Amino acid sequence: MTTYKDGVRSSHPYKEPTSLPDSIPKVQELGTTSAPLKSAAFFLGAYCKEYNEDFMLCKQENRDPAHCLKEGRRVTRCATDLITKMRENCLQQFDEHWECLENNNQEYYLCRKPERTLNKCMFEKLGLTKTIPGAPKGKPPIHEVEKPIFKAIQK
Amino acid sequence: MPPVGGFDAVKYKRNLPFRGPGGLVILGGVTAVCAYGFYQLGRGNLEKRELVRERTWSRIHLVPLLLAEGDRDTYRREQAALEREKEIMKDVKGWEPGKSVYHSARYRGVDSIVVL
Repeated sequence: MTTYKDGVRSSHPYKEPTSLPDSIPKVQELGTTSAPLKSAAFFLGAYCKEYNEDFMLCKQENRDPAHCLKEGRRVTRCATDLITKMRENCLQQFDEHWECLENNNQEYYLCRKPERTLNKCMFEKLGLTKTIPGAPKGKPPIHEVEKPIFKAIQK
Repeated sequence: MPPVGGFDAVKYKRNLPFRGPGGLVILGGVTAVCAYGFYQLGRGNLEKRELVRERTWSRIHLVPLLLAEGDRDTYRREQAALEREKEIMKDVKGWEPGKSVYHSARYRGVDSIVVL
């Protein structure tokens, strides 16, 4: 007899060895951890805007995971493309920024110095800028403020 | 007889040394310090709002990527579960594997999973 086991309380991890059916094209997962993703987030938003919006509109139609697999693969491929390009062009600045984020509780405002060099490099090499939607117009955006009030106490 | 050169002057003036700035100056100073503090507080609030906006949007930009990855995993597990169900229930007549228990086309995630 099988007995009911709560998945959350189970001592076994929720593993499923079966791979995707062959009818679904394979795509390499990105595998990037949180700090590099956070560092690349705004460039990702700028670079993959169309794919991201397409995917989210598709998800709005239907929440079924099977419904938006194609759009999802496009999103992942685009993100992989961007991360590869970033690593090719601005590896040093990228590494510095995400390592700073890793050491500073993943807060942007504690890592403005490496962020600015990364932003500069990304604009020069790939033409991508960081823009925050909805920020008040006519003021410098928060990542370009010269003397912010919130900053690291230790320089 | 009086002393030579006369008596000393009579000390009649009150001895009141300077006791710090006056009330108006202190009041004005406190007001100025408070005003500066509130100004900085206001600026800080505006800045904090922008920092929150930045943090929120960094997450919003990542949502499609994370959702796509999660969807693929969910789909894989659902398909595997469906195959298993077909295999287990193949002898039962009238059983439709993977049929929803609801009369609705809306997708619902699985409520429970079987951990093998």
